Amino acid sequence: MKIKMKKEKIVMAVTIGIACFALMLVMFMQFKVVRQTDITAIEDMRESDLRVELSEWNQKYEELNAQYEDVMSKISEYQTEQESDEKTAQLLETELEQLNEALGMTNVEGEGIIIVLEDKGGTQLSDGETVKSINIEDLLIIVNDLFAAGAEAISVNDQRIVAMSDIFNIGSGDNSFIRVNGERITSPYIIKAIGNQNYLESAVIGKGGRVDVLKGLGHEATIEKSNKKIEIEKYNGTISTKYLN
Amino acid sequence: MIVIAILIGCILGAIIGINAPVIPYTYSTFLAIAVVAALDSVFGGITSVLKKNFDLTIFITGFFCNSILSIALTYLGQRLNIDIYLAALVVFVGRMFTNLTIIRRYYVEKWVEKRAEKAKKAQEES
Repeated sequence: MKIKMKKEKIVMAVTIGIACFALMLVMFMQFKVVRQTDITAIEDMRESDLRVELSEWNQKYEELNAQYEDVMSKISEYQTEQESDEKTAQLLETELEQLNEALGMTNVEGEGIIIVLEDKGGTQLSDGETVKSINIEDLLIIVNDLFAAGAEAISVNDQRIVAMSDIFNIGSGDNSFIRVNGERITSPYIIKAIGNQNYLESAVIGKGGRVDVLKGLGHEATIEKSNKKIEIEKYNGTISTKYLN
Repeated sequence: MIVIAILIGCILGAIIGINAPVIPYTYSTFLAIAVVAALDSVFGGITSVLKKNFDLTIFITGFFCNSILSIALTYLGQRLNIDIYLAALVVFVGRMFTNLTIIRRYYVEKWVEKRAEKAKKAQEES
């Protein structure tokens, strides 16, 4: 009887203990929740106020979202624009380079020929005649022939032949000299041309080729073909325009 | 023994409750109403002990069933968009006060009886 009583008591104690445990557990969890959610402002509000507030915030959120999307689309627009700007800038740069090359504003090198003419004017030939000096017409014809043969860049005694270059004769008789780009040049005349070396060579030799003609007259002339070695310097002067608009 | 069990249960529950993860604010109403229901059961149990008709089975079933039922009612109220938990709160707290009154009366009467007895003894001695 006594043991039975004790057993009952133990069961009772355990069950009441469990009940207390559950109660305190839930209570403290609740305390914690209430302590952590410190939103007294919201707690004090009525539900209708909360609804109004909520809808306001919702509206604000939507507005901000729309703004955000607007800004994002603008940014992407700017980015694409920037990219295209870069492309145009690159394009312009390459174009500028090409133009500079064509204008003769840059040093260039490539396949071509070098013609060296040594003026033997004034020497006595065996038949008693004197050799006529190389004059500007010879140079002009050679340069013109070279251009006709597809030369892309030509220089005479390192004076680059550009659009406004002049090959000009100053003085007369024995006192005359040749001027290219305003600079006086003398023999030997070194004409460098970049282009297909075979075409260029064939333009100045052979029947009617001016170099051969000059050779026939008694001057010394050599033609050097080169695969990649020809270097032509840029135009030294400034291109100034006064009447061009 | 029962006192020890109560103490152990309370301390364990407090420790675990403090260390438990925070439940979302939305569900705190359920917990609160469960706490109130459990407290109501406790006071009811104390009252029945004083009245000497305490039954462990009834106490335990009442303790848990009241809590679970009140949570279920609160949930239903949320679904129906009516604050049923207020009604449960009124009932539970009202009953708690009734039980507290009974407990108070019991101890006050006991105290008054004791004093009367003491006075009687003193009178007899003198």
